[in-house]
Amino acid sequence: MYKAIGFLCILAGCAGWGSSLARQEKERVRHLRILFQTMGRMRSEISYGKHTMPEICLLLAELNDKCYSECFERIYKRTAGENGTDFPKVWEEELGNCLDRLPLREDEKRTVTELAGSMRFREGNGQAGRVGQAETFLEGRYRQAEETCENRSKMIHSVSILTGLLLAILLL
Amino acid sequence: MRAEEILGLFPEENRDRWRGVAKLAKRLQEIRIRAGMPLTVLADNRERFVDRQGELVDRQEDAARPEAEELENMLGHLCRYSIYAFADEIRQGFLTVQGGHRVGLAGQVILDEEGRIRNMKYIRYLNIRIAHQIRGAADPLMPHLFAEGRVRSTLLISPPGGGKTTMLRDIIRQVSDGTAYGAGVNVSVVDERSEIAGSYLGVAQNDVGIRTDILDGCPKVEGMMRLIRSMAPQVLAVDEVGSFADVQALQMAGGCGCKLLATIHGGSVEEVRKKDYMRYVMEQGLFERYVMMDRRHGAGRITGIYDGEGKLCTKQ
Repeated sequence: MYKAIGFLCILAGCAGWGSSLARQEKERVRHLRILFQTMGRMRSEISYGKHTMPEICLLLAELNDKCYSECFERIYKRTAGENGTDFPKVWEEELGNCLDRLPLREDEKRTVTELAGSMRFREGNGQAGRVGQAETFLEGRYRQAEETCENRSKMIHSVSILTGLLLAILLL
Repeated sequence: MRAEEILGLFPEENRDRWRGVAKLAKRLQEIRIRAGMPLTVLADNRERFVDRQGELVDRQEDAARPEAEELENMLGHLCRYSIYAFADEIRQGFLTVQGGHRVGLAGQVILDEEGRIRNMKYIRYLNIRIAHQIRGAADPLMPHLFAEGRVRSTLLISPPGGGKTTMLRDIIRQVSDGTAYGAGVNVSVVDERSEIAGSYLGVAQNDVGIRTDILDGCPKVEGMMRLIRSMAPQVLAVDEVGSFADVQALQMAGGCGCKLLATIHGGSVEEVRKKDYMRYVMEQGLFERYVMMDRRHGAGRITGIYDGEGKLCTKQ
């Protein structure tokens, strides 16, 4: 009886671990989609709207995702006022904190946080082009992750259940 | 004018150096920053230098000399790290920043294939002109600008630096808000160089009245036509009339029933009449009042008010 309960517990634990990994993968895809769409919005606001970066942050604060929305609002508040703090510093700090908790790879996070370091373009097209580079990189990563996500999820689920079975056999 | 407003013009890392200068906010006229040259400020018409500790000094040998990188940082800060958004202003050689202050820029210009200025690089000279709106500057003039509660079309004449724009700004404010001589009316302003309203990101930084609409950064001729069609103003105001096209647009606006407020460079009414493009409108009586100003006894001093035929009404 105890062995059967133990067997089920190990199996459930491993399946849970597997689905948590799969969910993380799906979260990564979701965040990559939000980020590349954010970059796209930034690019168009720069080239067509000619808005300043703090203003763009205020527009981006309308994003549905609470984590980004709050982050962009904080950036706007800290940089737009009369005594505004330096934008690159605030962008790096706030987005660094925001992305730190997310299931993204280091180079993906760096692409976003380091963007503020290249805000010295004198023409809208140049500046939009620089943001466009980050957008292309993140979009590429998103497409790649979306394609592999389904298969990886299935594989993670299978491997986790198999691992559970194997562990249960070995331990019990 | 508050000290914080002056400090806000500088990047965070340099603000300590400017604390002493910021204390002079109310008397400050100009801050000149040139790469490798002494930092200079003009306050109470007196030029002084700023040393490394932010103290004002009289000897230029003691003054701090900013490096080119500092100017680049400052430009980035003034443009909110979005230089591309200010490309049009930079092309014209000045920026209007929060508070309505104007920053003149000089460096190396980049020309396009047709020889027009495309942009500017190596910006190594900044001249920050501190905006001081003088409320009430037009008070002595207001009784003469109304007839039976209606605004009279008026042309302000003075040599450069005579205080025309300051006077025009206050007239606009009073005409828009309403005075004891007439109720407030809708005023439209074509602010080609952002000098009247000092708009920053579309918001007027100077008080130009509650019934005033500003078309900022727009060429005068196009702007006047646009405002008449879209905003139905009772009074139309422009600064520095200087060409046939400007005068034709003013005539058209006058023909639409708008009253006009405008300024022009000149030493006297006769001198203005001699300008080809002004002779005709003066003969036609487009303006009902000419206000002569000079700067000999301080900018903004009214020396005479003339009627539409150029006859002296009031000598100050």
